Amino acid sequence: MTQPAIDLATTPQTGPRARARWLDRLQAWWMIAPALAFTLVFALYPVIESFLLSLQRVFLAVPSLGQQWVGLDNFRLLVQDPVVRQALGVTLGFVLLSTALEVALGLAIALVIHEQFRGRGWVRAAALIPWAIPTVVASQMWRYIFNDQYGFANLLLFGDEVARYVPWLASPGFAFVIIVLADVWKTSSFAGLLLLAGLQVIPHELYEAAKIDGATLWQRFWHITLPLLRPAILLALLFRTMDAFRVFDLVFVMTQGGPGDATQVLQFYGYKTLFTEGRMGYGAAISVLVFLTILSLSLVYIRAVGSRLLEREAR
Amino acid sequence: MGALQECSARPGKAFANNPGTGWHKPPGGVTPHFMGPVARRSSIAGWLASTACRRRLPLLLVALAAVAFGTWFSTTDLSSGANPSDGLPDSRVTLRFVSWKPDHPRAWDEAIARFQEAHPDISVVREIAPHSSTAYHDLLTQKLKNRDRTVDLFFMDVIWVPEFAAAGWVLRLDDLFPESERAAFLPATIVTGLYQDHVYGVPSRIDAGLLYYRTDLLNKYGYAPPQTWSELVEQAEAIVRKEAAAQPTLRGYSAQFKQYEGLVCNMLELVGSHGGSLVGEREGSSTLAAPETLAALRFARDQLMGRVAPRALLTYQEPESLAAFVQGQTVFHRNWPYAWEVVNNRERSKIAGLVGVAPLPGTANHRGVATLGGWLFGISALSAHQQEAWAFISFLSSEAIQKHFALSAGIAPSRRALYDDPALLDAHPHWRNQLAVLQSATPRPRTPVYPAVSHILQRFFSRALAYPAVNLAEEATTADEQITRLLALTRSAT
Repeated sequence: MTQPAIDLATTPQTGPRARARWLDRLQAWWMIAPALAFTLVFALYPVIESFLLSLQRVFLAVPSLGQQWVGLDNFRLLVQDPVVRQALGVTLGFVLLSTALEVALGLAIALVIHEQFRGRGWVRAAALIPWAIPTVVASQMWRYIFNDQYGFANLLLFGDEVARYVPWLASPGFAFVIIVLADVWKTSSFAGLLLLAGLQVIPHELYEAAKIDGATLWQRFWHITLPLLRPAILLALLFRTMDAFRVFDLVFVMTQGGPGDATQVLQFYGYKTLFTEGRMGYGAAISVLVFLTILSLSLVYIRAVGSRLLEREAR
Repeated sequence: MGALQECSARPGKAFANNPGTGWHKPPGGVTPHFMGPVARRSSIAGWLASTACRRRLPLLLVALAAVAFGTWFSTTDLSSGANPSDGLPDSRVTLRFVSWKPDHPRAWDEAIARFQEAHPDISVVREIAPHSSTAYHDLLTQKLKNRDRTVDLFFMDVIWVPEFAAAGWVLRLDDLFPESERAAFLPATIVTGLYQDHVYGVPSRIDAGLLYYRTDLLNKYGYAPPQTWSELVEQAEAIVRKEAAAQPTLRGYSAQFKQYEGLVCNMLELVGSHGGSLVGEREGSSTLAAPETLAALRFARDQLMGRVAPRALLTYQEPESLAAFVQGQTVFHRNWPYAWEVVNNRERSKIAGLVGVAPLPGTANHRGVATLGGWLFGISALSAHQQEAWAFISFLSSEAIQKHFALSAGIAPSRRALYDDPALLDAHPHWRNQLAVLQSATPRPRTPVYPAVSHILQRFFSRALAYPAVNLAEEATTADEQITRLLALTRSAT
């Protein structure tokens, strides 16, 4: 900063002072310009492009159709498409189950690695390992674990009784549960990390005071930890919901949406429509659907987080 | 960046205790009350950074090196012997060939080395795409639709030719590959390279569904290879029952019923042998709801899956189903011709020499049906080296090279004359008998929108097999309507 600091409250709106303020603002813009340009090019532009594409009919394999503006036709198709209905159901089920489990498990992880004990560094690192493994690799691993012939799950449950081995991924119900399980295993520690950050800003004195007043461990958790952790929990929920809605790689590697579309999620359906079928307009409409759903969910969460924070400020 | 400097300066020290970082601990030494917890326990960012430095950085570097190496490796110039820099760098043409990951890499390396010997002026660079047909399709079409000029030639699955031709991605070969040349190939394979009376692809092989069976088990119980599907179920059930004591894990049948392209191939065979078809005779109408189709589905669901095949079939593609067969786990197995080489390979198979091949069964009123598969060579419409690409394709589809692949990789050739070659028939004695099956194999629907049609079929078939309670007729009608709408789109356009 080369500009002199200006006391805004007492500065009159005249002469060189106003000019200095204008320069100050200019400099501010100049400084955020790279970040702004980056956001515009890599976030806003693709979103707008997808919106525009979703209003057109582009079918790569039928170039004679050309690129026609069809208004909301793609969205009308979307509403009637049984696969979209199914995929939306599967995706929402996945989001609800995995997010709830991940935040609950994440809280447990956070509470453990928040404590002071010997070897805490190791436990913290170990808790993060699943999160550090690329999802594609983790998916492949889970696919092997639930393999019908040499899977570890079968060995664990049935040992040598090969005749009783279960083809887990061949059952629509189990296949869905296994996708959720793999996601919970992988990302609980991420939720835990967010919650750990929340735990660390809770003043220790509150616990000491509560202890002196004779509060039990459970009372301390219920009346101190949980209320003060609420913003962090909401944040973890927000991140996990947004992320879970975009689930793709688990399905791509483990089931390809099968059996019988039991694990068909929106993003995979969108991928197949765009990349395999070459129906660019309709595929874009599916992406827009995913985008709008995530956006509205985020707005709800952010309002909730925001009001929580305001409440705390006011107190 | 700060984190990295931090750890190189004080390796092994926790971030928060570093006196250099005043942000964490004020220089006065007294911790202000309000930031107690943050300062006392190391901050998460600091902890992460220090962990990354101490434990993960080497790992990260190794991973980066691996990625870099992998990228280099997958696009390595495969011209054997001759180093481009010590040859004539300016006169050499580089051909970029996007290929799937081959089953028999050594056979490929050898074929390409032979080509380079004959054409020292051309160097071939292979870009290896995924092994799976659909994944390969997605990668290749991504390049083609972005008008990637670095692609010179590629493989096309038989089902892609209409799509590639309509989209203008593949070069028309009417002049390079005239009628007189095509006459040397099996007609069924030539047809797969046509779209609207023009030729776009040169068949590299022929594929058709075949029934593999255990000769030892069938002989032991006095059975001849089944002529009909219900015979197959009866034989399989009887053999499994009688072998139960010796081999409790033996099952009757393995095939490819996962929700993917292979499911369409398997179901086309079952539906066809029950007298039905996937798309109606009149182009543009679908016949999924016809009684023959529904009968075939019920058979697959209740007789094959319910009685003789493991439920795991719903997760099997070619490799998994073949693995079960070569491990001696099933009596019957449906696969493409390449499986012959694998089942008789003593290193990979427990049942080498105990396997026979037959046409797929039919039903009481209908003959068996085999799905036509295979791969064609195509040249990119945007390639700058179309003549050189053609030279490469002519070489790879020559009699000598097809014979090489037949002997070393078990690939069924597309050239008619090779089916009279004594050396070949020695290695694949059943090919003499199977030629009729291969030639009369049934193609899948030929339309530029095939990938979309296939997705509808995959969903319909997979639901029919995975959910016993599903209303087949209703789902068939829905799928029918969706397919009809798609096909109408292509007709209205032309």
